[in-house]
Amino acid sequence: MSTPLRNFIRFCFIVLIQVLILNKITLRWWSQPAGFPVFIPYIYPLFILLLPFETPVWGLLILGFISGLTIDSFMNSAGMHACATLLIAYLRTNVLNALLPKNLSEYASQSPSVKNMGWVPFLVYSTFLVVLHHSVFFAVELWSINNLAYLLLKILASSVTTVLFIVAYLLLFTRQTALKS
Amino acid sequence: MRNLILFIRRFFNLILFLILEVICIILIGRTNTLQGNDVMSSANSAIGLMYRKQNEVVYYFGLKMMNDSLLAENTKLRQQMAQYLIYDTLKDTAVKRIIVPGDSTTVVKYADYLYRTARVINNSVSSENNYITLNRGAAHGIERNMAVISGTGIVGKVVHVSDNYSSVLSVLSVKQQVSAKLKDGTVGYVSWNGERPDVMVMKDVPQQIKVKKGDSVFTTSYSFFPQDVLVGIVYKTVPIKKNNLQLLHLRTATNFRNVQYVYVVENKMMKERSKLEDSVKKIK
Repeated sequence: MSTPLRNFIRFCFIVLIQVLILNKITLRWWSQPAGFPVFIPYIYPLFILLLPFETPVWGLLILGFISGLTIDSFMNSAGMHACATLLIAYLRTNVLNALLPKNLSEYASQSPSVKNMGWVPFLVYSTFLVVLHHSVFFAVELWSINNLAYLLLKILASSVTTVLFIVAYLLLFTRQTALKS
Repeated sequence: MRNLILFIRRFFNLILFLILEVICIILIGRTNTLQGNDVMSSANSAIGLMYRKQNEVVYYFGLKMMNDSLLAENTKLRQQMAQYLIYDTLKDTAVKRIIVPGDSTTVVKYADYLYRTARVINNSVSSENNYITLNRGAAHGIERNMAVISGTGIVGKVVHVSDNYSSVLSVLSVKQQVSAKLKDGTVGYVSWNGERPDVMVMKDVPQQIKVKKGDSVFTTSYSFFPQDVLVGIVYKTVPIKKNNLQLLHLRTATNFRNVQYVYVVENKMMKERSKLEDSVKKIK
């Protein structure tokens, strides 16, 4: 399977997981134990995180914009998700350069994964960008700093669950793709 | 010129990033006026279809709960009807009047409601502005700005319509306020502060009005909602010292986490009314 096709399928898959499963989590009572703010895990940035190393920044930006707008259409939040996703798409290359020992061009035709980065660098990379994405998204959504503690709690709870879901996704699906390629 | 091209080539990524961010900000700004485009909403036919397919799978798991809520609603409606049926009309001395149009003593209609049922195919309670997608659209007579109520209380307002789907801005939205009244007729505003999906806040109630725990709050005839639909039940009152008003915390009448079917209410006389009200606003 070619890399663009595999990424396209991954995109559809992640959007489906996000929209049909994760967005429904908040409809259950246990999403809000004891007056805790309603949190929602957004794993679709994982699509941007897993694009190949050699993707140029403008490509990342356009793909980030498209994926953000797709989620926006599903959630009626025109532009908010795209706004947050663009930021992480723009910063992705810099974060990878800072974390990886070798230059990015030396990883020809590879994608960021646990296998070639190791668990700790990959988790640092994804946690950093996920927290950034969630901070921008919830700040734009709330659009006021009157209730800063609430905003921070919402960012924290959503980021933690998102990272947990990203780890679960990686554990479930990386081995299979490694076997196929 | 050459310098300009060099500059663009050097900072191409940054410029592209900024342009796309500006597009996003314009899009966000446009939705805040509630006149966003229908294409990028869950009323969009492709997205609506997907939500419908998903709902068809999940639908059966909620049937038991839905049955119970329908039964409860039926009982409520039967009780309301019984109030009209207990009068013995034979002994009544009132004479049947023939209603003459134009006669000032007859009752004048100010609203004419048409109820349409719809199923909720997508729902959310986690955002600041929550939307509900319905499986009815323009082909079934749904239009923008119609009120949406559930069997137990208010739900929201239709904002996007496509042929077969429509999306509803629920009252769990920080940009939508609903005019509401207490039992004694005190009018105020009910809004949502964006935190808990089962709690709403009623503002502008003077402190001299005694409100008890368990009092009901209904919609008024001022808003686009039909009159006397339950908004919620008061469970806490908080007096505000500085302006002699009090804040009422309400439990919402509708359970937004599992609302399954709704009624879309069309007020056939609303167009005339909003035309008149808009013309007054223009003069100001």
